[in-house]
Amino acid sequence: MVTVKINGKEITVEDNTLILDAARHAGYEIPTFCYQADLVGIGSCRMCLVEIEGQRKLQPSCVTPVLHGMAINTETPTVMSARASMLEFLLANHALDCPVCDKGGECELQDMVYKYGPHKGRHAEPKFKFQEKDYALSPVIIKNSNRCVQCLKCVRVCREVVGANVLGALGRGDHQEETSFFRHFLDCDQDGNCIEVCPVGCFMRLPYRYKTRPWDLKGADTICQWCATGCRMVIEERDGVLIRSKAQFGVGLNSETLCARGRFGNDSMTRAERLKTPLVRRFGKLEPASWQEALAVIKDNVPSDGERIGGIASPRLTNEELYLFQKLFRNVFGSANIDSSARWDPDAVEAFIKAASMDAGGVSVFDCMESETVIVIGSQVSDENPVTDYIIRRISAGRRMNLVIASPRAMKLDSSANLKIRHTAGKAGALLESVILSFNSARVAGTGGLEDMASGRLASVTSEAGVDGEAVESLARKLKSSGSVAIMAGTDFLRFPEGIAKLGLLKDLLKSSGKKVSVLPLLDRANQRGAWEMGVHPSLGPAYARAKQKGLGTDEMLEAVSKGALDFLYIAGSDVASMYPDEGVATAALGRARFLVVQDTFMTDTAKFAHVVLPGAAFGEKEGTFTNQEGRAQAIRRLMHPPGKAKPDLDIIRAIGERFDPSFGPKNFVLALDEIRSGNRMYSNVSLAFNNKKNSDNRLDSKEALVQGAGASDLEAKEFAQKPSAESAEYPFRLITGNHLFHSGKGTMRSETLSGLLKAAVVEISEEDAASLGLKNGDRVRVKSKDYAAVVTLRTARGSKNAHAFLAENFEDCPVNRFLRRGEGPPMVSITRA
Amino acid sequence: MAEDKGRILELIKRVLFTDFVKGLTVTLGYNVSKSITHKYPDEEKWVPYRRFRGVHTLNRTETGKELCVACELCSKACPTQCITVIPMEDDTGRGIADRVAKVWKVDLVRCLYCGYCEDACPTRAVRLSREYELACTDLSCTVRQREDLLKPVQVPESFEGGVIAKSEFLRSKRGIKVKVDLSNTRKRPL
Repeated sequence: MVTVKINGKEITVEDNTLILDAARHAGYEIPTFCYQADLVGIGSCRMCLVEIEGQRKLQPSCVTPVLHGMAINTETPTVMSARASMLEFLLANHALDCPVCDKGGECELQDMVYKYGPHKGRHAEPKFKFQEKDYALSPVIIKNSNRCVQCLKCVRVCREVVGANVLGALGRGDHQEETSFFRHFLDCDQDGNCIEVCPVGCFMRLPYRYKTRPWDLKGADTICQWCATGCRMVIEERDGVLIRSKAQFGVGLNSETLCARGRFGNDSMTRAERLKTPLVRRFGKLEPASWQEALAVIKDNVPSDGERIGGIASPRLTNEELYLFQKLFRNVFGSANIDSSARWDPDAVEAFIKAASMDAGGVSVFDCMESETVIVIGSQVSDENPVTDYIIRRISAGRRMNLVIASPRAMKLDSSANLKIRHTAGKAGALLESVILSFNSARVAGTGGLEDMASGRLASVTSEAGVDGEAVESLARKLKSSGSVAIMAGTDFLRFPEGIAKLGLLKDLLKSSGKKVSVLPLLDRANQRGAWEMGVHPSLGPAYARAKQKGLGTDEMLEAVSKGALDFLYIAGSDVASMYPDEGVATAALGRARFLVVQDTFMTDTAKFAHVVLPGAAFGEKEGTFTNQEGRAQAIRRLMHPPGKAKPDLDIIRAIGERFDPSFGPKNFVLALDEIRSGNRMYSNVSLAFNNKKNSDNRLDSKEALVQGAGASDLEAKEFAQKPSAESAEYPFRLITGNHLFHSGKGTMRSETLSGLLKAAVVEISEEDAASLGLKNGDRVRVKSKDYAAVVTLRTARGSKNAHAFLAENFEDCPVNRFLRRGEGPPMVSITRA
Repeated sequence: MAEDKGRILELIKRVLFTDFVKGLTVTLGYNVSKSITHKYPDEEKWVPYRRFRGVHTLNRTETGKELCVACELCSKACPTQCITVIPMEDDTGRGIADRVAKVWKVDLVRCLYCGYCEDACPTRAVRLSREYELACTDLSCTVRQREDLLKPVQVPESFEGGVIAKSEFLRSKRGIKVKVDLSNTRKRPL
């Protein structure tokens, strides 16, 4: 600790604190352009100059640490005139086209000049111009370099946080321009973080271009809906049209970062194709109806036998809605048949919850990143949870730690990893087993037969996982030498549940060898964790308590519907027809359903089969809470009213319930949250009053809003047999599925900006495979399995595992679930030039 | 004594209708003097000084480009929020920048003609003209759109004003209009 005097005020701060941070701590504002917490300081803008007594020259406070006994003055006339002079220099070549500039009204340069600046310019020379016209740097970025203040924040955020590394500085001095490599059109992550950090109107968002002024916008501080990272953001509208979404500096776990989906994907909310009125099927055609009619038809068709009723709720509904949904089924309909996912086996979900210790309460991603070794396995985290990827990259770059990535596909985060393991798709379990065996090899060493058995097993699982023994050994060594380990386990464990047992085993093994272990599930749906914790699961009630009666999961429900054993199916927000991993089975079942109620915001493939379609509200049109993958329960806020006659989902579920039981409630989300709080131990501390703000030391209270442990639980982990996939020389590629960076489920396909970035499906294979097939990036190829074939565009990835092809689950022109077969492992495909 | 004298004088005045004649002199005087009544709108119309604040206009450069860059400062400055601006991008050379107004409308019923919009405008696109004839038969004409406001005004800014100009009152099915002849003016007699 050192003691310094700032403007005569004595304060004590930690060693190596920057003068800037110390001054802000003491309550003095120092203006900056280039300084941003979380980014490496470069001290280039010179706005933060301060006077240090005893030093002749002013010093940049954002790169100068405090020393004991320093006397610093931040508000002397010298400092003030330095600030004004810096601004005068910046304005010498600044375009000063504020009335045209999209940043006008929220521009840091404007604010600074207003506050500190010279209110009169002395530079009469003609201004230097980079370009006459703005140019598009990518499909979402438009650039005007004439306004640049050379703070290099865009370059640093791109390199240090996003890891895309596509921006740099061209030229020197005041002719320095931050742009792509010789202003090439960018094919990057398109996440727009460079736009967000830009203090002036140099990087601007193209979809927002000349739409409005910031002061016209009405905003709501909410949580992103496109993955389970739980990023805090503000969505803004003007005249009923969603204009933009932006992150806020120093707020939420994401601070000022978002991904392409979060920043540009929310325009789907105000599309004209939204469902606006209830539809009822009459004479084979869906026709508009009133709520009264629709609810009456539903009431007439609900069978009295609860076992003949089934419900599937989307993991994008809020906790309150999901809670009410399961309450409607369990208490009103007397049915246990509810599920929250069209994709995953409920037993696998239960085993995963147990293996990931989700019942023990929330685990902060920041706490995980404090560990000595972090393993990311079973998730294409750079694509599925981009902001988690940013957090991992930023923190791992700043401290000594091991980052291990195990995945069949290459990903952006590889460059931050100390060890990357490319295993065969679906063999994460075998990989973990080999790590366990290698970790334990010392225990069985010298035991003769046991040692032979163990090494034999190790060799066989290592080859099954398709990895080399050295990588496994290296990982085992890393685990041995670290006192704390975090495992980030992704959704591939749910796709291939045979690996879950090994995940649990590794966790227990590490725990028993005295290490601190935390497991963070990496999920791809905004409220997937909340759905499970609210009890939308056939065998688990709220807070993972075992339900009195075990019901059917999605898979079994569809089977029962086909057989005629289930009459009434209520699907809230889930697109079963296009997400269930076998399209044929799903559509056959939905087509045979005696009565199908679909509640959604758009006319989905599933809704086309429905007998009654109920128009729900999008995430910006309702209030409630989302629980992210860490177990952080955060509030989403309403910005607009749902279009037409559409209603918030909570009201719809309640209205259906009230038809059967007039006292069915609670009436609104606050009361529902109260009921959840009183009945669900995990949520007893959840409050809407959390702020998630970084404190003055630039740290997030990582425990804030995390759910509690459920106490003693009786979760069961079933053993799963590996599903066979027919391997043959004809089909050399193993098909991997998952989310694309620009798309999450089907919802983002309705976003104009995101479908502008990528609308048609792409298949990704490794560069070596492409070379051996004589194909290159951008070629049209035919992907063919024994059941289905589609023509898509080829993308090649450097460093992916060979003989693997990745197809995203999201695209309409290539429904991946046509390749998949119920009861079979990952399909094998061939790739040929189309 | 003095009281008697006053009474006699009063009597004489009454007999001779002095007050009546006095009043009639004023009346007859006006009858023969030049009229100060404006024969508005049939024959003449008051053209105000330049400082007058009437209906808004949107202006163009000499080359015909729209000066408005849809910065929305007018609508922000407006105390009654009667101006709505929606910008758009158009780099075909319609405006002085590639940002132009898609919508620029003013609700003249709400407007209090304070001129703040004129002051706020960074390009001098919005100026308050000398048009003050707002009477109409339905409310639709109280909201003026960009297209109407871009049309040249009857009294150009170069014209000094403060005069009464010869005018013509035109009635048609589309409404009424007063056409002024700025070459034929006279000073306001005061």
